[in-house]
Amino acid sequence: MTGYTAGVLMLVIIFVLVYFGLAHRVLDRLYLSDRAALALIVAMIFGSFINIPITSGRVVTSVNVGGGLIPLGLAVYVLYRAGTGREVGRAMLGAVITAGVLSGINILTRGREAWNVYGLSLLDPIYYYPLIAGLVAYLVGRSRRAAFVGAILGVLLLDGIDLIYYLRTGLRGTVAFGGAGIIDVTFMAAVIAVLLAELIGEARERIQGGPEVSKRPRSLLAGLRGAPLKPLPDNKKDNGGDQGEKSKETS
Amino acid sequence: MKKAKRPRRFWLGILTVFTALALVTILALHESYREATTTVFNLKNLLASQAHTEGEYSILVDEQGRILDMMSRRVYLNDEFIAADNHRYKVIRIEGNRAICREIGIEQLSLDKSTLSPDATAPVQARGSQVIGVYHSHDDESYVPTQGTESIPGSGGILQVGTSFANRLRSMGLTVIVDQTSHAPHDDAAYRRSRRTATGLLQKGAAAIFDLHRDGVPDPTFYRRTINGQNVTMIRLVVGRENQNMSANLDFAKRLKAAADTRYPGLIRGIFIGAGSYNQDLSPRAMLLEVGTHTNTLAEAEGGVTLFADIVPPVLGVAAQPAASRTTSTTADWKGVLFVILAVVLGGGAFLIISTGSWEKAVSRLKQVTSIEWVNLLGWRRAKRPLLPGLKEREAGSFKKKVRYDRKTAPESLPNEERADWQKD
Repeated sequence: MTGYTAGVLMLVIIFVLVYFGLAHRVLDRLYLSDRAALALIVAMIFGSFINIPITSGRVVTSVNVGGGLIPLGLAVYVLYRAGTGREVGRAMLGAVITAGVLSGINILTRGREAWNVYGLSLLDPIYYYPLIAGLVAYLVGRSRRAAFVGAILGVLLLDGIDLIYYLRTGLRGTVAFGGAGIIDVTFMAAVIAVLLAELIGEARERIQGGPEVSKRPRSLLAGLRGAPLKPLPDNKKDNGGDQGEKSKETS
Repeated sequence: MKKAKRPRRFWLGILTVFTALALVTILALHESYREATTTVFNLKNLLASQAHTEGEYSILVDEQGRILDMMSRRVYLNDEFIAADNHRYKVIRIEGNRAICREIGIEQLSLDKSTLSPDATAPVQARGSQVIGVYHSHDDESYVPTQGTESIPGSGGILQVGTSFANRLRSMGLTVIVDQTSHAPHDDAAYRRSRRTATGLLQKGAAAIFDLHRDGVPDPTFYRRTINGQNVTMIRLVVGRENQNMSANLDFAKRLKAAADTRYPGLIRGIFIGAGSYNQDLSPRAMLLEVGTHTNTLAEAEGGVTLFADIVPPVLGVAAQPAASRTTSTTADWKGVLFVILAVVLGGGAFLIISTGSWEKAVSRLKQVTSIEWVNLLGWRRAKRPLLPGLKEREAGSFKKKVRYDRKTAPESLPNEERADWQKD
């Protein structure tokens, strides 16, 4: 890095600041407090330099702490904290569909110069991951947390598919789960996917003229500004509404 | 409410993931048994072929129909390229595999005269301990006349080209890390895999990283030149448009071309500025090189890349000549900084306006971001300061008292509740 001077360093620093800032805002939406989010980002930065080797030889596998383990842990934590089983299911389904679509694209482009499959090379491949994860998560779960889980598990599943490919074909290969650390596609896809889900969600809400209020758990509605909700009768339970309450307590 | 049920559903979900994974695996394995076909643009082949499409290429022509350039990549509107003669063109129309280009100017590429003297034949000695990284996103790329095939997954001829490049740089005193990690198969995900390799090189302190490829244009003479009596391949520099480092890397490419034009005229095929990122977002000194094409010989490619290596140290500002100082910050670097800041301001602004619905609300939301969104962080610091009198008592006092005291930091609770409102699911 000694060849870097002011302009180049500034470019790198500004980019890194913006990226970490976005990442922090994203983590903040995942049942985490600002403090925990910041601590996790710091952990991911340091973890980016730690690779845990799993196997060596023809197929080398390793997992990066900052880019693989911590994001995986976060995804599992988000799933664990999810309010309902349905939410968990949707997030998982999102992950599977994301991995399916992306691996479909990979098969489509296999053996070609990446740019020779029409339309697919308009965008650099690394941008498909967040776009597809964000879109799928939104369609399946309409949820930022689902987008986060979908992106991380989706990309990790793709690495798993690579591993199987190497084992099956007898080729030499390396599978480094989250190998590029905090700037690996795994976490980067999650950050952009959440922001994308947020953007789509907000835009849709704006287009339809405000948030959807019918058939929503009371705890979510309680978070909206406006007329206070009618109190529930004593014998009635607010099904599906525990999640909002909890996140309020902890965040 | 569903506490007892949740774990079961949780594990069911995980089971679903693994089932799907198994299905995809079976499909993938089934895929690998299929035979390769050679026609390219039919649906069956598009979905199932493992065949390489070298030989398919784009032809860039000017408005009069004269051929300007050829390359085995699809060219899009607004892609630009700087030809060997420094004329800069922009793609204005696509007709099949022909891209019609319009000249948009002539680049004035120049290097400090002190950086490179045209008759410097002796290898320059690098100063200090500069590290350069070399890797291959498509490690299967090979040279047909030498290797008999265009693709050898995991050990293509391009790896040897990388080694020659590194050896030459080392002979000039630079530290070169060659990472021959395989990123097979040759598909869209290759750049996701090679991103890890590139990051690893940067973590090891590489000041510049080079991703070596070769082109797929069938005509070997298109890339062949005789320089100093030796048949070598020309080299194309590729800069991705889709990242914040585009202008910095384009500038790097121009300086490499200027240096090569001075020392080995004809060595550089041109600079292509195309759709894609090629992991150049990782560093403002990241370059993709196309060393010849698959119909050139490996020896020609090694010759070309060795000549190219000669001009790398002076461009990076690491040659031993006294006048050649460190790489200077260029206008393009600062443009990149401006670009990132502008993107954040515009993108963030657009998002705020969409999400709030009006300019006024956007402004008030922005105020919320600064006052409420970060309140926990501020609160973290504030909590260390006493909010009520009686600090000394607290410091020296009992634990019980401290707990009671902390609970009373009520002013924090209001913004937190307000904040929970837009910490939506």
